[in-house]
Order: sequence, then structure tokens, then C-alpha cells
Amino acid sequence: MGRDSRDKVKMKAEMKKLVKVRNLKKYFPGTEVSIFRTGNDVKAVDNVSFDIYEQETLGLVGETGCGKTTVGRTMLHLYPPTDGKIIFDGVDLNELGERELRFARSKMQMIFQDPYASLNPRMTVGSIVGAPLDVHTDQSRKEKRERVQELLDIVGLNPDFVNRYPHEFSGGQRQRIGIARALALNPDFVVCDEPISSLDVSIQAQVVNLLEDLQKQLGLTYLFIAHDLSMVRHISDRMAVMYLGKIVELADRDEIFLNSLHPYTQALMSAVPVPDPDLAETKERVILDGDIPNPSNPPQGCNFNTRCPVATEICFKEEPEYREVKNNHWVACHLVK
Amino acid sequence: MAQINPEEFAVTDFAVREHRSLWGDAWRRLISNNTARLGMFIVVLFVFSATFSHYFWKYEPKKDLDYSLKLKAPNLVVTEEIPSIHIFGTDKLGRDIFRRVVHGGWNSLRVGIVAVGISLFFGGVIGLLTGFYETVTMTTLERILLFGITGLLLGLLSAWISNQIIQLVGYAILGLLAGYFNNFLSGKIMRAIFFGLLGALMSFLPALLMGFTVALICGTLGLFSGVLLSMTLDGRFFSNFMMRIMDMILSFPGYLLAIAIVAFLGPGLGKGMIAIGVVGIPVYARLTRSAVLSVVHKEYILAAQSVGESHGRIILRHITPNILSPIIVQTTMGLANAILSAAALGFLGLGAIPPEPEWGAMLGDSYRFLTSGAWWAVLFPGLAIMLSVLGFNLLGDGFRDALDPKLRT
Amino acid sequence: MTPLLDIKNLKTRFYTQDGVVRAVNDVSYTMNRGEILGVVGESGCGKSVHALSMMQLIPFPPGKITNGEVWLDGQDLLTLSEVEMQKVRGRDIAMIFQDPMTSLNPVYTVGFQIMEALLLHNDMTKNEAKFRAGELLELVGIPGAKDRLDDFPHQFSGGMRQRAMIAMGLSCEPKLLIADEPTTALDVTIQAQIIDLVKKLQDELGMAIMWITHDLGVVAELAHTINVMYAGSIIETGKIRSIYKNTKHPYTIGLLGSLPRLDDSPGTELVSIPGLPPDLLDLPEGCPFAARCEYRIEQCLVEKPPLVEIDGKDHAVACWRWEEIAGIRSK
Repeated sequence: MGRDSRDKVKMKAEMKKLVKVRNLKKYFPGTEVSIFRTGNDVKAVDNVSFDIYEQETLGLVGETGCGKTTVGRTMLHLYPPTDGKIIFDGVDLNELGERELRFARSKMQMIFQDPYASLNPRMTVGSIVGAPLDVHTDQSRKEKRERVQELLDIVGLNPDFVNRYPHEFSGGQRQRIGIARALALNPDFVVCDEPISSLDVSIQAQVVNLLEDLQKQLGLTYLFIAHDLSMVRHISDRMAVMYLGKIVELADRDEIFLNSLHPYTQALMSAVPVPDPDLAETKERVILDGDIPNPSNPPQGCNFNTRCPVATEICFKEEPEYREVKNNHWVACHLVK
Repeated sequence: MAQINPEEFAVTDFAVREHRSLWGDAWRRLISNNTARLGMFIVVLFVFSATFSHYFWKYEPKKDLDYSLKLKAPNLVVTEEIPSIHIFGTDKLGRDIFRRVVHGGWNSLRVGIVAVGISLFFGGVIGLLTGFYETVTMTTLERILLFGITGLLLGLLSAWISNQIIQLVGYAILGLLAGYFNNFLSGKIMRAIFFGLLGALMSFLPALLMGFTVALICGTLGLFSGVLLSMTLDGRFFSNFMMRIMDMILSFPGYLLAIAIVAFLGPGLGKGMIAIGVVGIPVYARLTRSAVLSVVHKEYILAAQSVGESHGRIILRHITPNILSPIIVQTTMGLANAILSAAALGFLGLGAIPPEPEWGAMLGDSYRFLTSGAWWAVLFPGLAIMLSVLGFNLLGDGFRDALDPKLRT
Repeated sequence: MTPLLDIKNLKTRFYTQDGVVRAVNDVSYTMNRGEILGVVGESGCGKSVHALSMMQLIPFPPGKITNGEVWLDGQDLLTLSEVEMQKVRGRDIAMIFQDPMTSLNPVYTVGFQIMEALLLHNDMTKNEAKFRAGELLELVGIPGAKDRLDDFPHQFSGGMRQRAMIAMGLSCEPKLLIADEPTTALDVTIQAQIIDLVKKLQDELGMAIMWITHDLGVVAELAHTINVMYAGSIIETGKIRSIYKNTKHPYTIGLLGSLPRLDDSPGTELVSIPGLPPDLLDLPEGCPFAARCEYRIEQCLVEKPPLVEIDGKDHAVACWRWEEIAGIRSK
């Protein structure tokens, strides 16, 4: 029971890049200190570049303040980027007008984290899932209703529930409704923004399995954003690790697990609790010192230097370059040759 | 596999709770609340008696007077002296107080509905738009429109001074130009100077027809307006601007402002309704704005944007249904307030023109006879005011408890 | 050795407009001095509610502890009055919660809040309490502890606040520390720091810890014994190695199987447990897990299985078919 997508990854040279992100920046204005001065900008996303291949799942992990959610939202132009380019299927999103952008949205959709806040509590499930159809198609009511029922069926919900309201469903079911909404227009690319973090453990597996099946059935491309490393590793073909607005490492899933190069990645891996008491005892631990710095005041030089166990002089002076050190293995660290 | 077998279906199904709508829940909570029931009863009684009496029990106030019955105490049986039954007694002009109290209810109801309607409509729209555009970036079209409207508002002063409607047009065009060409010389002082001069010119020239001094004043106003319009007006600025205007209205004591407006517009119940309505606008604007702000940050709004829904659709289908709860509570309380305000205006002789029956006016007519013992002329209108206000307040409290989101499981 | 904590037949109900919620159903177990017990389960399983019941912190109405005894060192806590309970809370049992931002009062300094607990339960002067508070902050690894006593909670980061909460909890040297999802809201690297800290503190101070969580990974790193809860009952309990290596209950098996692991071989499929947890307003007869269990038989739907010991005192499970299931799975 192997995953066909892994074989696809090996043929990367022939694979088409569906999404290209180049030097993406998203800064948020700082809080007002006084009427004349605002604080420093929060550099939520600071010069991030990566590609996503067709039908692959790129996992994006990181902790609080790393910018992964902002990356997802800026990629869909839900936040206008401060700088940088997002090229979707050959089209530079920055060059699209407002109307064109709204219609481009039908090809790139998003699944949100909070199943309780991402559905309008005053709308029926049928209206919620059918909203994309209302906006982008001319279908008749009957056609839309049929499509909505089809979508509910695909995600494993009883199609008779079209007239129910979100509060009548559990968290996992609501997440399925969100997935059905995202699939309504047959998108090519779906950003999954922490879709399972708010769910119970036994439901998480249900939803992840559903996402994987849908990917196979419908040929979807995913950007899977999460902080749960084990889950990201399970579903992704390649993984990117972010810290304080920058990508510190990006590689194939197995490569990053077996041969991680960046000290933050290594610390992150060792911090993930493994449900096995024997392994837990023998596991090598890298416990980081201190807290994650404030994103509006990042350290000088490498932004990881305040907590890095192996930081050297140059790490406090110069920002490391993000470069490809091995085949398809990118790192931003001075200590990696 | 995505194929869930029927057995799993059943398992998924049983955990979905029985069909209950959110409004149904709230209604049940309302009904089971005793004070709310009392409030509802009073309100229904009030509305019913007012409407019924207006349409089926005709009353002509101008024809109703009989000095022989002046200030008679309530009587339940016909006597030699008093040939008719007056269960609430008569007032200083011999009119039956009971009749007037019941018909006065219709006037109070009308004032309540119209005044609150005005406050709700204007305040609600202002609150909705400021709250929304404070958070969501405007489209180009919306931005140009905003500039145009701001220009129009700025032009009101010039138009009033010079008595020329064309000034409004000029300022609006100035705004539209500033909005459309928002990249022209942006960020430089030149832009402010350019639009300032343009504004001065557009205001000065037509005003010349009215006189040189007038033209000078208009020109200066045009200069300032041009400079203002040359700046980047975004949603946050606009919201700030509108809310400060609301603050200005709020800084006047409500009744005094209402009196001032009525003094300006002239007497009459209709003018009174407008006055009370205008005074209430800031309250609804603030309330709506804060409700909108709490909703607009929720993820389903972001989801609607990611689906490609237009701003208008988001405001109508997503935001409005979710801000109804606090608005319903405020409207109910607002009706109580409006009735009270109408009575206050009536008491002072503003608002309802006599001999129209109006509770406050009836109090105003009769309080000086209290010392001579005519308590009924004051008690019954006063009781009417008190009960109707109480009814709406209780109902409003009931709504608040029923719609409180924290009580929802 | 008598156990530190002995809970017998604890039952807690919530009486709501929609019906009676059976939150805790006949829970019994013991804890020894110095033991770290992990209480594991998903939302609604009763893990937090049973801990709050122990401390008599269930609001009445709508909640009520309808049955049970909670023996802590020779005293049945459920028979104590509120005043007597207040002496126990903080001193014999301390509790720390999930969200340190809301469990610390934002308008008082951190130092003040730690001192509060000290002054309530001990005969100390303010200066002594302040000194001790500083020592405690240092103990939990906050750099520059003595100077940070006058800081407010919002000036601390999430991890620091949780450490401050731990300091508050330990201030009166309780016999039992109950930690209700203390690291769920924290980043994974911060969580690792806190787990490390707790292990060190437990080594030094020797108190018993009840660690409530849904994370089976965290429990594996920390606990000596585990209680697995489902729909208000304990369905499996025992020493940690036995539970993970020799899992008996279908729910626990399903739960462990649905977790992706960093050391999984690629392509491992996640086993998902079909369906949803039962509605506590309408708990079915028999085993609460029966509706979702692939091994269920007639008896499971009718009679609720009791906890039976397997392997001496090291492991107990509540399942009618625990013996056969291992055999079925290996086929």
C-alpha cells in the first residue's frame, strides 16, 4: 500500500510546478505607540520562496509566530502581499485585476482551522456548500442542489442534511462541510490551514484519510499547514520548516526526517512526543533554551540565534542564505556547507 | 476510502442532534421567562389597543370639548350631573381622559416606530459600513465612491453658504477625481497643492455669481477640502471620521438636542419623530459597528472572501444575519426610549400639536390642576407612559437573556 | 503502603435544560505517593470533570456529584464543607490549567499571585513570602526570577506563564498536583521544556502528579501509569509499558493506531475509529464504546463491562472480549 505520489516526487524533473512563490513578504503595520509613531512592522512572512508541484502535498510546519498561516492566506491573495510574486499555473497573481482575481479563486481554495468559526452559523449547510456555485456559475437551483448533495456524499456526510445548520453537527463533521465547500468548484490547489488541530485525535485520522483519498480521486495539490509534525510527515511528500517568517529547511519528507540539517528542525523533531515509552526513554533530546522571539523584533543576523545550541559568531552578524545544498534539499544556515 | 459503508453512516447519523434552529431555541427561552412574558403581554395589549382604536373607534379631537364637564372625577355610573361615563374622569376641556389615553397610544406607537426606524436605518447603515470597511480593504470602485461621497459632504457647507446646488456637484467631482487618480503624485506635497488649488477654483468660480465675498469664502473652503481629499482616505480614516461625528451628536444631551431640532423644524408630531430619530442615530451606529467588528474577524468571512464572494453579498448574507441579536435588544429598548422622549417633548408643548391626544401633552395640560385635586388628569396619562415603557423594557430584557450567546450550548 | 489517593465510584451529573449529562460514571482508582498518573481521553470523556469533582469545584447548579468517595490521605474530600475544602485546595492538592493567560489574573503581578497562595496557607510574613516566591520562580527556570516578581502576566510569554502557574501550584508543597492539559496550548518546543521541568521537579520534590491530556505521546514521556477514559468511565488502566505494548481495549488500540508517528515507515495508513463519541445526554446501555467497536457482540450492547485485572495489578481493562481480541488481531 504505497503512495503513488512518492513515485511522482522522484520524477520531479518532468513534473509541472503548479505554484511558484518568489520572495514573498507580508508585513503587518505595528501597533500605534503614539499618534505620531507606530511600532515596528511585524514581519510575518519575510522573503519566502518555494515551489509546489502538481498533485503533491507540501507540508508547512512551524510554531507560533513562524508565519505559516500568513503564507497560506497571502498565497491566495486573501492578504495583499507586501512584496514578492505568486505564480499560479503560469499566471502572476499580482497582475490580475480585482474581478479576474475573484474568478481565479475558483481554482485555489482553502480549508480553515476552526470548524466552529469557519461556517456561518445562520446559513444552512446547503447554502454554505453551494455559495461558491452561486458566485461563479450560472447553474439552476436544481443543478446546484444536486451538486451540493454530490459533494456532501463525497466527504462522507448524509446528503439529506442539506437543510441543517452547522451547530447541529460535531467538529469533525463541520470540517467535512468545510472540505465540501472547498471542493465545490473543482479547484486544482487547496491550502489546508491547520484543518485538524481543533479536532479530537480519533477524528483527526478520519479527516486526514478523507483528504488523502480526495487527493487521489480528484488529483488535488495540497499545501498542508500544521504544527503537528507527525501528522504533517504522514501526509506530505515534501516538508518545509518555518521559523519567525522564514523557511529554514525544505526537503523531501524522508530526507528531512533522516538527514535534517538545520538545528531548529532537529530540535523540533526531537521535541515531538512519541507514543512509545521505550522510544521516549532512549530518544535523543535537544531542548531549546528560551522562548520564541517577538516577530516585531527579530534578532539580528540569523533569527534563530537566540535559541540555537550551536550558534557561532557569524550567526549573530549575518543572515544565512537560503540555498540548495543537496538535490532538492534547501537550508538556511551558516553551519551547513 | 471515502466510501463510507452504511453501517458507518448510521454511526455518523445518530450523533447529529435533533433538528433545532437557533431562533427556535431563543424563542423557547423567551417564552419560559416570566418577566419577558409580562412585557410581551403589555406590549401586545398596547399595540392592539392603539391600532384597534385608531381604525375602529374614530375620535375627532377638534370636536371634543364640553366645558360643562370640566375636570370631573372618574365616574362609573351615569348621574344627574354627569350624563356620560368617564372611567378616567375628564380634563380641563371636559374631554374624556380614557378616550384620549387610548388614542394617545396610537400617536406614541407611531412616534416609537418612526423614530426608531430612522435611528436604526441610518445608524445601522453607518455602523455596518464603518465596521466592515475598517477591516476589509475596499475595492477600487468602492474607494472612488467613498471619495465622491466625502466630497459631497464637504460641499454641503459651501452649497449652503452660496445657495448653489452646483457647488455640491463640483465637490463631488473633485472627490471622484481624487479617488480615481489616487496614484497621481501620491505621497508628495505637490498632490495636496494641486488638489487644493483645483478645489479652490471649482468652488470659487461658480460662487462669483453670488458675490465676491461669498466666492472668497467658498474658495477657501474648496482649498481645504481639496487638500483633505488629496490624502489617502481608507476605510479606517472614514470609520474614524464617521464615529467622531457620531461622538459629536452624542455629546449633546438627548432631550436638548431633540428640542433644538424641533425648534428648528417647527412643531408637529412628525417633526418630533425626526428629532428623536436623529438623536438616536449614534447609539445604533456604535452598536452595529461593534457587532460588525466582532463578526468580521470570524473565519467564515475569510472563507467567503476566499470563495470569491463580493463585498455586498458578504455584508448581506453573512454579516447582517449574525448581528441581529444585539440590534433586536436595542430596538426594543429604543422603542421604550422613544415613547418616553415623545412624552417629554409633548409635555413641553413641542411635538404633538394640540388638540391631538398625546400622553406627554396631556400631562403638560393637567399638572397644574393637581393642587386643586384633579389627580385623575395626571395619573392616567402618566400610568400609560409608565406601563408602555415598562412593557418594552421587560421585553427587551427578555430578548437579551434569550439571545445571549453564552447561554447557547 | 496505603495509596495517597483512593477514588471510589465517583459519579457526576449535570442537570441541564436538555436533560441529564452523565459526565462521570462510576470512576474508581488509586494513586500512590510520588506516582505520575496520566489521564487520557478525548473531549467529553470526563477527564477534566472528574478532577474538578475531586476538588469540589463543580458548580452546583447545574452540576452535582451524586455518588462516590475521594480519600486523600485518610480524609474523604467529598464530605468536607466548603471552608474545610478551601484549606485543602492549594495546600494538599494544587491544580494548574490549560490556558495560562486566563488562569492568571491580568491585573495583579505574578509575584502577588504566588504570594497569595503562600500567605493563605502558611504563617509567613509578606517579606518571607516574597522571598519564597522568588525562589519558586527560579526553581521553575525563569531567568532573572527575583526581578520578574513585579511583572504582570502579559509581560510573560506563554511558556513562562505556564511555568509561573507551576510555581504557584507547587508553592505550598502539595501532595498531589493536578495538571489539566497544561501543555496543549503551547508550542511543541516549549512543551518539551515544560515536560523536562516537571520531570526534574518531581524528582526533587517527590509529589504525585495527575497529568490530564489527550496527547498519548506526552503521556508516554512522562507518566508511570495511565487511565484511559471514554464517555465518563475508565476503560483501560495500568502501567505505562503494558498499556502501550500490550494494549487490550479496542478503543485504546484504535486511538494508538490513529496516531501518526515520526518513526512510522512510509505509507502506513492511519487507522480511524468510525463514528463519533456518544452523546452524554443519551448514553446507551452497556459498553459506551459498543456502537463504534468492530468487535462488539450482543452482550456489549446490553451490559457494561467492569474493569478486570489482567497481569496482576499492572493492567486492567473493561471489555468483555479482551482475551479474544488479541487473537483476532494477530490473524
